[in-house]
Amino acid sequence: MNATGIPLREPEVSAAAGETEQLERALIDASTRVPVLMFYTSAVAWLVLGTFLAGFVSWKLHSPDFLANISFLTWGRVRPAHMNVMVYGWASMAGMGTAIWLMARLCRTVLRYPLLLVAGAGFWNLGVLLGVGGILLGDSTGYQWLEFPGYAAIILFVAYTLVVSWAVLMFRFRRGEQIYITQWYLLGAFLWFPWLYAAGQLMLFVVPVQGVLQSAVGWWYANNLLFLWFGAIGLGTAYYMIPKVIGRPVYSYHLAAIGFWSYALFSSWTGMQRLVDGPFPAWMVTASIAATILTLIPVATVGLNHHMTMQGYFPLMRYSPTLRFTVFGAMSYTVFSLVGVLISLRSVASYVNFTQASIAYSHLGLYAFFTMVIFGSMYYIVPRLIGREWRYATLIKLHFWASAYGIGLMTLMLLAGGFLQGANMESPSLAFSESTETVLPYLRGRSLAGILLTASHFIFAYHFGLMLFGLGRKSTVPTFLNPVEAEAKAH
Amino acid sequence: MKGLAPLFLGIFGTFAFSWVGLTVIPNFQIGHLNPQSDEEGTDIYPMPQSGMVARGARVYAANGCIYCHSQQVRAPYAAADIDRKWGDRRSAPRDYIFERPVFLGKARMGQDLANIGARAPKEEESPPPAPAGGASPAASPSPAGSPSPAKQGVASAEASPAKAAASPPASPAATASHSPATSPAPKAPMSPAPASPAPQGAAVSSSPAEAGAKAGPAPSPAAASPSPAAAAVAAASPAPSPSPTPPWPEQTAGLPPMYSEAWHHVHLYSPRSINFDSNMPSYRFLYRTRRISDMPSADALQLTGSDAPPQGWEVVPTYDAKCLVAYLMSLNQTHPLKEVRSAAPPAAPATSPAPGAQPPK
Repeated sequence: MNATGIPLREPEVSAAAGETEQLERALIDASTRVPVLMFYTSAVAWLVLGTFLAGFVSWKLHSPDFLANISFLTWGRVRPAHMNVMVYGWASMAGMGTAIWLMARLCRTVLRYPLLLVAGAGFWNLGVLLGVGGILLGDSTGYQWLEFPGYAAIILFVAYTLVVSWAVLMFRFRRGEQIYITQWYLLGAFLWFPWLYAAGQLMLFVVPVQGVLQSAVGWWYANNLLFLWFGAIGLGTAYYMIPKVIGRPVYSYHLAAIGFWSYALFSSWTGMQRLVDGPFPAWMVTASIAATILTLIPVATVGLNHHMTMQGYFPLMRYSPTLRFTVFGAMSYTVFSLVGVLISLRSVASYVNFTQASIAYSHLGLYAFFTMVIFGSMYYIVPRLIGREWRYATLIKLHFWASAYGIGLMTLMLLAGGFLQGANMESPSLAFSESTETVLPYLRGRSLAGILLTASHFIFAYHFGLMLFGLGRKSTVPTFLNPVEAEAKAH
Repeated sequence: MKGLAPLFLGIFGTFAFSWVGLTVIPNFQIGHLNPQSDEEGTDIYPMPQSGMVARGARVYAANGCIYCHSQQVRAPYAAADIDRKWGDRRSAPRDYIFERPVFLGKARMGQDLANIGARAPKEEESPPPAPAGGASPAASPSPAGSPSPAKQGVASAEASPAKAAASPPASPAATASHSPATSPAPKAPMSPAPASPAPQGAAVSSSPAEAGAKAGPAPSPAAASPSPAAAAVAAASPAPSPSPTPPWPEQTAGLPPMYSEAWHHVHLYSPRSINFDSNMPSYRFLYRTRRISDMPSADALQLTGSDAPPQGWEVVPTYDAKCLVAYLMSLNQTHPLKEVRSAAPPAAPATSPAPGAQPPK
C-alpha cells in the first residue's frame, strides 16, 4: 500500500506472498521469455506492416487512382492483405503470446517444451508471409477471412498444431486443482481455433459444400474466429489483468461461469446475421439474430463482473497502463456487442447490411476490444520477461490516447457513414452513386482516424523495440502513467 | 470449476452444436440442389460454366471485386434491390449451385452484379455508340403482346415487355414496327436502353437518345406515355439533356452501349471516363498498350480523351481481362425459379408503367 491507499504495486509484492511464490513466478516468467517474446516481436512487426496496408486501403477507397496501375497494389488485393495481416499476423500472434504466458502462470508450472512454441511461431510467420504474398500476387481464394491460398493455410495449420499441443501438455502438468476463469477461456480458444479452421478449410476446399453454403460456412467461420478465438482470448486476458492489477479477486465466480457458458453457447451461433436477407433459408439468419440478441446475457454478466471488481478502483486507471488499456477493451466489448445486436436486427440490417457499418463492427471487435486488451497485457507482461520497465510514461499515454481516439473516430465515421450510405441505397429514387458519394466524406474521416492509429502503432513499436534491446528502465517500480507520489502529496 | 473433463466437454459441445446447427443442417436442407428443368428436360437452369467464365471468376476473386460488389438480390419486402433494377426476383440458393467460390459479397461500394450479364444489350445487335444517356429504359409497350412462351419468365421487372421480346427470337416484326414509333417508356434506370429489342439500327439508336431525355429512376406513367414527338426531339439532340436525377452509371457519349463487353473493358480500364464520380479502381494492369502492327485489333478498347493511346498505338485486353468480362457477361439470374416468385412477372402492370402495355399471355 502506498500513500494513496490503493495498491499500485503488484498484489503479490504487497500481499502476503511468500518468498518462494515470488521466486516461482520469476522462474515461470523466465521460462516463457523466448517463446512469448518471439510471438510478440513477430506480432508487432505484422502490426506495423498491417498499418501501412491499412492506410493504403483507407486512402485508396476515396482516391481510387492512387497507385492503381500496379497489379499487386490494387485495392482489391491490398484490402484482404491488410485484413489477413492484422487477423493472422498481428492479432493471432499477439493473442497467442499473451495466452502462452497466462497459461504458464496459471498452470503454475515452468514452460515446458519451448521448442514446440518456437517452431510454431516460426511456421506461423512463414504461413502468414506466404499467404499475404499469395494474396498480393493474385492467389486469393475469394472467401472472406479465408483468403490465404492452400499452401499458406496448411503451414498455418501445422504451426497451430504445434502451439495447441503445447497448450494441452501444459494443462496436464498444471499444479493446483482450481481452474481459473482465464483458463476456461484460454482452453476454449486453443481448442476452438483448430476445429474452426479445420472445419472451414474442409468445407470450403477439401470437400466443398454447394453454392451459397460456402458463404454460410465462410461467415460462420469468420464470426466464430472473432468470438471464439479473439473474443475468448480477450475476455480471458481481461479476467486475469483486471483483478491482478488492482489486487482484488473477481467479484463473482458464479457470474463468471454463467458468462463463460452463455458466451460459448450463444456467440458461436451468431455468424449468419451477416447474411441477412440473402439467399438462405430464413431460419438460419433468424437463429443467428436470436443468438446475437442472447449474447446480451454474457455481455451483461461479464460486464457486471468486471464493473463490480473494479468498483472503487477506477481511479487506478490513472496510473496503470495495463489497467487503462484493459478496461477500455473490456468496455469496448460491451459496445461491440451492442452494436452487433443493433445492426443484426432485420429492420436495421436491411439498411446497413452492405455498408461500411459492418466494417465498423469488425473493427470494434478486433481493435477496440481485442487489440486494446492485448496492448494492456503486453504492457504488463513484457517488463516481466525482460526485467526492465517501460521507458517513457509519455509514450504509453500517447499510445493510449491515439489508439482510443483513433478507433473511436473510425467507428463513428464508419457507422455514421454506413447508416447514411444504407439509407440512400434503400431509396431507389436516388441514383446508386448517391450512396457511395454520401459515404466518401466519412471515409476521409476514417483516413484521419487511420493516421491517429498509425501514430499510435509506431509509438508502440518504437517503445517495444526499446524494451527488446534492453533499453528499458532498471527499476523495481512499474512505469506509471502519472507520478504517484507527487499526486498523493498534493492531495 | 473443478476438473478438466466437464470443461472440455462443454467447450466441445458448444462448438459442435454451432457447427451442426449452422453448417451441417443447412447442408442437408440446401446443400444438394439440382438444376431445374421443365417437363421435357430442356431449359435447364442453372448450367455449369466453364472455360473463360470459370477463369474469369478466378480473376474476380484474385482482384478482390467481392469487397465492393455483391451478387445477390434481396427480396422486395426487405430491400430496394429490385426497385434498383438489379434483378427481377430475389436470388435463391439454386442460382448459385455451380459457383465456386460463391461471391455473395458483403459490401456495396459498387453496384450489385448478380444480373450484370442480363443487363447487357443483346450481342448480335451491338449498336453503334449511343449518343445519349442510357438510363431509361424503354419498355416499348408494343411487344407486350409478343408471344414468348419459352422464356417469358426472363422478363423481369427490368425486362418489362420490351426486353422479354428481345430474348426470344419471337416477333421481330412486331417489335420493329413499334419500337421507333412509340416512345419507349422508362423501364429500368440501370438497364441499357439498347436492350430494346428492335433489330433495326434506327430503332436502337433512337431509344437511348430518347431515354436520356427522361432519365428517371422511378418511371412515372407520364413519362411512359408514348409520345413520338418527344422521341423525335430527343433524338435530335444528341447530348443528354440535363436530367434531374441521372442514373448511375450514365451512358456517356462516344462509348459502347452500357454493360456490353466493350463497355466493360473501357470501364475496367478507366472507370472515370464513363462515370466521373465512380470510385472504382482502374484495372489497367489487365490491359496492354501496344503498337498497331498492320491493322488495329478488333479487341482494341474504344477509348476517348486522355485515356486514348497515342496515334499508332492501341490498348488491348489481356486474356485475363477477356475472361473477367466473359464472367461478368455470364452473370444472369433472370431465369425464373419455381421456388421464387418473380417480384414482377412480365404480366404485372404495376412494374411496367407504360400505360399502353398489354400483359403478354
